[in-house]
Amino acid sequence: MSEVPDNLSYTKDHEWMLVDDGGKVRVGITDHAQDALSDVVFVELPEIGTKFSEGDAMAVAESVKAASDIYAPVSGEIVEVNDKLEESPELINESPYEVGWMVVIMPDNKLENTLDSESYRKLID
Amino acid sequence: MVDFAGWEMPIQYSSIISEHKSVRETAGIFDVSHMGQIFVRGPDVVKFLSYITTWNMDRQKDGDCRYCHILNEKGHIIDDTIVYTINPNEYLLVPNASKIIEIRDWLLINSNEFNVTIEDLSDIYFCLALQGPEAPRLLGQHLNTSVNSFQLKKINEVIVSGTGYTGELGCEIIGPLDQIEFHWEALLDMGAIPIGLGARDTLRLEKGYLLSGQDFKGSETTLETNYAWVIDWDHDFIGREALMSQKETKYSKLSGILLEDRGVLRPGCPVFYNNTKVSELTSGSLSPMLRKGIGLSYLDLDVDSKITLEVRGKHLNARVVRTPFL
Repeated sequence: MSEVPDNLSYTKDHEWMLVDDGGKVRVGITDHAQDALSDVVFVELPEIGTKFSEGDAMAVAESVKAASDIYAPVSGEIVEVNDKLEESPELINESPYEVGWMVVIMPDNKLENTLDSESYRKLID
Repeated sequence: MVDFAGWEMPIQYSSIISEHKSVRETAGIFDVSHMGQIFVRGPDVVKFLSYITTWNMDRQKDGDCRYCHILNEKGHIIDDTIVYTINPNEYLLVPNASKIIEIRDWLLINSNEFNVTIEDLSDIYFCLALQGPEAPRLLGQHLNTSVNSFQLKKINEVIVSGTGYTGELGCEIIGPLDQIEFHWEALLDMGAIPIGLGARDTLRLEKGYLLSGQDFKGSETTLETNYAWVIDWDHDFIGREALMSQKETKYSKLSGILLEDRGVLRPGCPVFYNNTKVSELTSGSLSPMLRKGIGLSYLDLDVDSKITLEVRGKHLNARVVRTPFL
């Protein structure tokens, strides 16, 4: 069974989001997604300052067999990226919700159309 | 699971990286029963297979295994195979799954002048590959035997050969299909790790071994694949004349490519030299041991030439290297 923490929001594209006190959104991929990808061996992250619209491909996670786009779950600007993933992409497999986070976005609007943990669990069931 | 020449095969049992490392560090077992088993027998078998392949079977002693190519008149590779000398009257060929029928037909139409019989037992024979530094120990434990590199032993109906597709120590076990479970289960119980198609590909690519249908697919010659060592020029074989004339010309050769920037390479990835597209990758992946992107491409460039590879619109730095990568 994949882990789906209750304190996070989710997208149907298997990303998780955590909103901090300042409204910034930390984004990563879910336990279910990392398991489906299998060993992540390379991660391409966006430059800080890049702006994306919701649904744009903003990053790529690659396993030996395939490259998967990671989509912006919300429109906004990239304000932080997880540099550790450059050296250690396997952190996404080992700790998808903590050390393996991918980017922090300053969103243009509040989060909409997200799934809570209950709905996401149903989606991957 | 994926379809591979009509066989349903797992890409991975656990994960490609961990399976890959198991083979390099301990021992893995592959079910490669999709590979063909074509037996050629008769008084003319040595003459016949010398004519069919790039190797002169006169040089084979009983128990020798030899990797070679089967070419058409143009010198183009139909398939690569290991030829097993079981005895002077009985040989075994192990063609790739997708080439079994083509090879069988090719043997048949070229055998008119030779006193040989051709029997395709691919459907009723299994092949298991036990590979890795611990493989000889497991083989000893399992069948109380050992084999030298590129040598075979026949134990009852089963052939055990010191061959494989990983560059590691180990063997392949070939025999009637009803015995596969006995060998598979026993070797798993002894600690061999099951390996899927994904790691089979990364393991062979690190060693620069060719993948049929990908690194050659009908119009490449043995010289172009940079496998001239499989040719014995001092004998007559189908494709020899074409290779003799190609030898005098300039042609692209399958070359190793090592990515210097971070990234993973994929087949089809465009290769650039001096900002001009010169080729594409036939194979590409990430070497789990080097943690670098590696690939193969037909290039007319010297070793150490700087090239770039276009990945998602960006140019990544790479250079031409000698294979094996590892």
